[in-house]
Amino acid sequence: MTTTFEEFETVDLFSSWDAKTQPIISIHNMKKWFPVSQQSILFSRVVAHIKAVDGVNLFLNKGETLGIVGESGCGKSTTAKVTVKLEEPTEGSVYFKGIDIFQPMTREEELAVKRQLQMVFQDPYSSLNPRRMVLDLIKEPFDIHFPDMLYEEKEARVLEILAKVGLEDYHALRYPHEFSGGQRQRLGIARALAIHPEVILLDEPVSALDVSVQAQILNLLHDLQKDFDLTFMFIAHDLSVIKHVSDRVAVMYLGKIMEMSPTGELFRKTGHPYSVSLLSAIPRPDPRIKMDRIILEGDVPSPINPPSGCPFHPRCYKAQELCSKVTPDLEEVEPNHYIACHFPEI
Amino acid sequence: MTEKPILELKDVYTYFYTESGIVEALDGVSFDVMKGEPVGVVGESGCGKTVTAHSTLRILPKNGKTVSGDIIYKGVNLLDLPDLQMRKIRGKEIAMIFQDPMTSLNPIFKISDQMTEVIALHRRCSKKEALEIAIESLDQVGISEAETRITDYPHQFSGGMRQRILIARALALQPSLLIADEPTTALDVTIQAQVLGIIKDMQQKLGLGMMLITHNLGVVAEITKRVHIFYGGRVVESGYTEDIFVNPKHPYTYALFESIPSLEADKTRLMTIPGNVPRLINPPKGCRFHPRCKYATEICSRMRPPEHKFGRGRRVACHHFEELDLHVGKEAILDRAAVKEEV
Repeated sequence: MTTTFEEFETVDLFSSWDAKTQPIISIHNMKKWFPVSQQSILFSRVVAHIKAVDGVNLFLNKGETLGIVGESGCGKSTTAKVTVKLEEPTEGSVYFKGIDIFQPMTREEELAVKRQLQMVFQDPYSSLNPRRMVLDLIKEPFDIHFPDMLYEEKEARVLEILAKVGLEDYHALRYPHEFSGGQRQRLGIARALAIHPEVILLDEPVSALDVSVQAQILNLLHDLQKDFDLTFMFIAHDLSVIKHVSDRVAVMYLGKIMEMSPTGELFRKTGHPYSVSLLSAIPRPDPRIKMDRIILEGDVPSPINPPSGCPFHPRCYKAQELCSKVTPDLEEVEPNHYIACHFPEI
Repeated sequence: MTEKPILELKDVYTYFYTESGIVEALDGVSFDVMKGEPVGVVGESGCGKTVTAHSTLRILPKNGKTVSGDIIYKGVNLLDLPDLQMRKIRGKEIAMIFQDPMTSLNPIFKISDQMTEVIALHRRCSKKEALEIAIESLDQVGISEAETRITDYPHQFSGGMRQRILIARALALQPSLLIADEPTTALDVTIQAQVLGIIKDMQQKLGLGMMLITHNLGVVAEITKRVHIFYGGRVVESGYTEDIFVNPKHPYTYALFESIPSLEADKTRLMTIPGNVPRLINPPKGCRFHPRCKYATEICSRMRPPEHKFGRGRRVACHHFEELDLHVGKEAILDRAAVKEEV
């Protein structure tokens, strides 16, 4: 069976894009602020903003896996949602294959963009409609993107994709509650994969799973990436998972990228004090390793009123006066190693 | 070892009676916790970790019952105690911290009310004294300005702070045994490091016996001295943490270590355990791990594996443990020809 859908493509948007020189996704100074409003009887007025994402710059190259790691509330998921056009950014732009995805476009063009950008969600229990059969759930992307496709072909493709994610034909006639957590995550992956996207954003795809099942899903994702030539943006809070899957890693804190570098480099030559403390905070599953731990004081500050200057300075062991005044830019300290810090460790 | 165990579970069976059948949640669990010793209880979801804790404190839901076995705490069988005396054990003698710090605190009462109530009751002191004790214990777990913050409500604290409050409340009663059920699972890594540091400090300072329930192998390695690995309602392996982590003897323990991504070593491909954690209604016969075990032979599906004891307090429940030479990072081969099938 063919794996492309060229016969169904109606618009040609991305002809100017060159995979060799340009990144497949580039995000420029993206901000996403959510208004916090105060309600009185008659009026409601905006009193503050939750600065979920506050000026993120990053790029994804074709075929790679970019891991995004950070603690809860740092804006990882919001970044992903804006990147797949589920949310409008407050400021900044997202380029997919050289096209600004938030520019005005026709419905055909919009579908063409969205078909190539898919997302897998964290919770496999709440992201599948419990009233619908698996066949319908996975067929839905075809109904939306290829309404002209014959029913028989859709069905055949559903079965093909189920086999790809390690499920059997008879699973197509079952309902989500009949599956275990790991199998549901396979269904989530199958839905995203069905229409052969270029990029899949995986938002904490394994954090709800047990370790033995987590390993199955991580191996599956690895195989699918090779088979389908996929680009992944992999969001997780578990650094050992991130290290395992990623080619490059971006560390986020309070809506900003703190450090972005190739994976090996990040773990060998950690540059940002936040990344250093994050790495040292992880309990290692080996009682022989005794390490001097940097324990950060306090909690992550509220994104409603983030600290001035570098957002990490109140908890940073290297902070000086400059840090509370001037926000450091994300700079390329070494080739491909970006750090946003006035006093990096390298 | 000359020390006497503070808590000893002997062949405990706990069943849940549900509409779809009997869930054999604990199927002959035996282990002990020494005085002042941190012990880990490790396993995946549904393996009976939490049920063990609930059976010990006798806080099982109505449809659950410990049908046989002994749970001996300081020489007394908890299962034989009348309810009134059991209430004096809970909190005062054996304290418990739960996974989700938000649901363990009542959102409509101040922290001071929630803490002093328990302290005044169990330590038989006035509310005023209880308040002093509460402030002091909050101070110990690193809550700054405890005198003023104690009048706040739970929602005014972050997740990590709430977990500290629960630790403070548990320890204010001066228990001898602390059961911590996934105490850091809901927390971020940097906060987890803070809370683990506190638990470790307090445990050492107060000489507490501790049962730490977790699925995180890193947390176990960090805190515990001995560890019990659970699978399908049974203890499959137990021993000193260093021994087990360096040289696991049960195929499940081994597979568990090999399936987690590592920060130190580069694994290109993770080892997987096929299938899912078994449901405990109609669990697999014989060894409960046999349908997922690559070393399983005919005997595994037929007979419950006996416990082999060796070394310093090491126990392994596997038919083939003698033939298997498992090392973390090295694939083991079972010489099937050498396996003698017993009858």
